[in-house]
Amino acid sequence: MTTAIGRPIDRVDGPAKVTGAGRYSADVPLPGLVHAVVVGSRIPAGRIISIDTRAAEQANGVLAVLTHLNLPKGGSVPPLVPSLAGAAATGQTFFPMQDEVIHYAGQHVAVVVAETLEQAEHAATLLRIDYAAAPFVTTVEQGREQAYEARRIFGGFLPGRVERGDVDAGLAEAAVTVDLGYRYAANHHNPIECSATTAVWQGDRLTVYDATQGPNATLHTLAELLNVMPSHIRVVTDFVGGSFGCKAMIWDHPALAALAARHVGRPVRLALSREQMFSSVGHREQQEQQLTLGADAQGRLTAVRHHKLSPTSHFDDWAEPSLGVASQLYACPNYQGVYRLIRANTMTPTFTRCPGEASGMFALETALDELAERLGLDPLEIRLRNYAETTPGDGTPWSSKKLRECYRRGAELAGWDRRDPRVGALRDGDTLLGWGMATSAYPCYQPGNPQRARARLYADGSAVVQASISDIGTGSATAMTQVAADGLGVQLERVRFQYGDSDLPNTAAAVGSAGAGMVSAAVHVATTALRDQLIAQALADPGSPLHGADPRQVTVAEGRMALRERPDVGETYAALLQRAFMADAEAVGTWNPPPDTSGGSMTFGAQFAQVAVDPDLGLVRVRRLIGVFDAGRILNRKTAHSQLMGGMIWGMSHALLEGTRMGPDGRWANASLGEYLVPVNADAPEVVVETVESTDTVVNPLGVKGVGEVGMVGTAAAIANAIHHATGKRLHRLPITIEDLL
Amino acid sequence: MMDFLTPVTWADALAVKADRPEAVPVAGGTDVMVELNFHRRRPAALLDLTRVPELAAWGRDGDVLRVGAGVSYTRLIEELGGLLPGLAAASRTVGSPQIRNRGTLGGNLGSASPAGDGHPPLLAAGAVVELASVRGTREVPVADFFTGPKRSVLAPDELIAAVLVAPADGPEQFAKIGTRNAMVIAVSSFALALHPGRRSVGTGIGSAAPTPRRAPEAEEFAAAHLPWDGPGPLDPDLARRFGELVSAAAAPIDDVRGTAAYRRHSLSVLARRTLTWAWEELCE
Ligand SMILES: Cc1cc2nc3c(=O)[nH]c(=O)nc-3n(C[C@H](O)[C@H](O)[C@H](O)COP(=O)(O)OP(=O)(O)OC[C@H]3O[C@@H](n4cnc5c(N)ncnc54)[C@H](O)[C@@H]3O)c2cc1C
Repeated sequence: MTTAIGRPIDRVDGPAKVTGAGRYSADVPLPGLVHAVVVGSRIPAGRIISIDTRAAEQANGVLAVLTHLNLPKGGSVPPLVPSLAGAAATGQTFFPMQDEVIHYAGQHVAVVVAETLEQAEHAATLLRIDYAAAPFVTTVEQGREQAYEARRIFGGFLPGRVERGDVDAGLAEAAVTVDLGYRYAANHHNPIECSATTAVWQGDRLTVYDATQGPNATLHTLAELLNVMPSHIRVVTDFVGGSFGCKAMIWDHPALAALAARHVGRPVRLALSREQMFSSVGHREQQEQQLTLGADAQGRLTAVRHHKLSPTSHFDDWAEPSLGVASQLYACPNYQGVYRLIRANTMTPTFTRCPGEASGMFALETALDELAERLGLDPLEIRLRNYAETTPGDGTPWSSKKLRECYRRGAELAGWDRRDPRVGALRDGDTLLGWGMATSAYPCYQPGNPQRARARLYADGSAVVQASISDIGTGSATAMTQVAADGLGVQLERVRFQYGDSDLPNTAAAVGSAGAGMVSAAVHVATTALRDQLIAQALADPGSPLHGADPRQVTVAEGRMALRERPDVGETYAALLQRAFMADAEAVGTWNPPPDTSGGSMTFGAQFAQVAVDPDLGLVRVRRLIGVFDAGRILNRKTAHSQLMGGMIWGMSHALLEGTRMGPDGRWANASLGEYLVPVNADAPEVVVETVESTDTVVNPLGVKGVGEVGMVGTAAAIANAIHHATGKRLHRLPITIEDLL
Repeated sequence: MMDFLTPVTWADALAVKADRPEAVPVAGGTDVMVELNFHRRRPAALLDLTRVPELAAWGRDGDVLRVGAGVSYTRLIEELGGLLPGLAAASRTVGSPQIRNRGTLGGNLGSASPAGDGHPPLLAAGAVVELASVRGTREVPVADFFTGPKRSVLAPDELIAAVLVAPADGPEQFAKIGTRNAMVIAVSSFALALHPGRRSVGTGIGSAAPTPRRAPEAEEFAAAHLPWDGPGPLDPDLARRFGELVSAAAAPIDDVRGTAAYRRHSLSVLARRTLTWAWEELCE
């Protein structure tokens, strides 16, 4: 029985957020709390010759200055494994302050602890650190010569080379080919809440308040880094002020906070500054892609060759999987994808919303437009001609796919068929207008371990449902409340979803757009198990009107069990429990995820953009974004559409604004929100979001495919294609700048 | 330690500044606080001007308006939009509502950034800056106020008291280029004032030279060639030539926000467009 699922209800955590009552990880008040400030290396490579800490140590209020010379040793650094696996999830296999070697600018070299934040910040400026600088590489341009083909990337999860068919033969038989080089600036996440950890020890037990996408990821990583038993650690995450991937993996600051707290014997808060966010929690790497497409005269792809080159750190072979979705989307027999890496003096790059999907699909979806133009085909038509009815890899059926419906509806909303397709034909005064479209898709990743939730129903019919997941601003707590209400058959108002605490039943981190699917599965299993348990109790209870009934005939709504055919025969959960003198009833649900579904299950979408270009000034303004998505079942129409809309606006930002520039000194040159531009409200165009519901019985019990990232995937390409329609210019570099358009 | 000095009268403020010339005045704080936060400066003392009522007042003084240095952008828009439309237009492009509520015209002049949005309309309107100290008061044409990037003629013991500017006697325009629609430092900007009564034209260029500056040749050209007698449609060639002269008056550099070449190019476009709009407005 579905009554709550899907409804566009308001966020359960909304009032706490807008009134300021919500406590973020840097807000938690603790008696005796002191403050830690990290200090980053000024140079990108070399070593520390000396650190003079005397002035800092003598400054007012300072409790400790930790460096590689005195940092208490902990455990060992676990391997780099994405946090969706559910285990320790270090962002890079490097832990700082173990020796004097500097691998990247901003690498944490000291932690200053003082009574107040201001005292700690001031003392940090008093450190005298002498460095011996060494030559360094921080960009593709500097490291091109020493690039190597990666054996595996992405925490070892993906091969560095993927091939099917014979790409050379495919290109040889093609009637038309395009061969295009793409360049992308590095990106940083910039959530409004900077990462922060508050750590407090009680004896050998550690409680950590951490801004994280996965309380358990923090727990398991800390257990290994500190060599403390997981049973002795608790991670609490009440509120997260956005993340977009920078809190998906666990970086060194939670462990440094815990080590500092143990060292000074006081609770310690360590909050990164905005500037430190640019060199402490990963980034989307700068990259180049070379994409070659071949097609026959009808526009059917005969070959896709897609190579990527990007810098990674000295510790890990990391590249965002830019080639993934772009290799799976269209029916093409011959494919080759290769990741090449450069060892660079940066930290290990990490997940940044649409890690890889956005950059790879920008290449594919703009290249397809060029191919369509060469063949005289409409951009939508070439996509339909290459529509993959089954997965391009091994031809297995998709778990669900309503992409065709998305195209149709999106085209209708955009008036695609009515537009004048000629370049430069649409105008508004002196302004050139253009329409572009692109496909989006995002894989359905599965967590690596069983997902659990606990459901408890009290004798008055109210319920608490628990899972450890944190709500990073996506609305998952709200959606889970809805799932729980339907699973139990009680009213929404009677359910409280409790979350954001590693002491609650296990869930993996809310990453990879997988959170809603996997946690709804656990909540659904737990709540329906409790429902079935209570029905069974009623059937067995001679005092129940349902005594002896067929369990398949019993339904529950608004907390009352009744016979499907005779709704007058039944009783409430409350009556059942009270008669049995039970204060509550409880069940734990465990959902065992299917093996990896990312090859054959995806959220799909069709995206359309209208841009206005001022040809004299080279200014692009996006007027309309339209996105129609097949995301399986939608748990809450409002929060899901907000996610999709946010993704689309981010895609616009990726297209037109965002880029972190590497300075000649090997440091990020625009590490502030004043210089790393993201869109402001006045930039947000009219955004139309629709969803086409599909039934998916493979991904998880409720058929939820995820909406967290897919909105971004096709946006940049749709905008670039629209710019071409307006101006005739083909742009292969992100972000697109004013100068590109003159 | 940092002293926080809080005079409540203008005379006190001047006395404190004479006594502590190293004290950094703070009005809206939207520039000063950013510098403190980023550890770019750590002055021995801050001189809070927000309690001095004279600074936040504006009124007529004969033919001119006297706008106190402490008048915020929000008030320039709401209270002076009719009298100083160019300055109000520029004020609308500043930051966000919060910045416009706090930020002041005096602070913009105090920072003397080549990109300050308040400067081009003051240049175009021929405004005068009133500077004061315990030694007395002096009036400096805004065109002479700036001496270099973030530098001005302001002496260590002086404060900016007000801006003196005649109410608009013809159309005024302001245009600014930025990479996004708000909260953006100008890549280039341009202000224009037409004075049909005296048949003259004022200009102000922003973000395209070491200081905000006028384009005198463009002003003279437009004054001489605009069809003041029989207002009718503007000759596109005249507008284009005006744009070229404005562009030629700039001395831009390449920086992360834009190249020198783009700045020059965009100024010619902004100048051409604003002249066309202003002329249309005059003809209406
Ligand atoms: C987010 C943000 C966005 C911004 N956007 C813009 C923008 O779009 N356009 C723009 O032009 N600026 C912008 N600014 C900069 C700033 O808001 C303006 O320069 C503003 O006019 C400064 O005024 P204030 O009153 O806040 O000055 P303050 O910060 O108080 O002072 C600025 C300087 O002037 C001096 N000063 C102030 N008053 C006096 C006085 N009476 N006598 C002598 N010296 C004085 C101070 O000592 C200081 O050196 C922005 C700033 C921020 C933080």
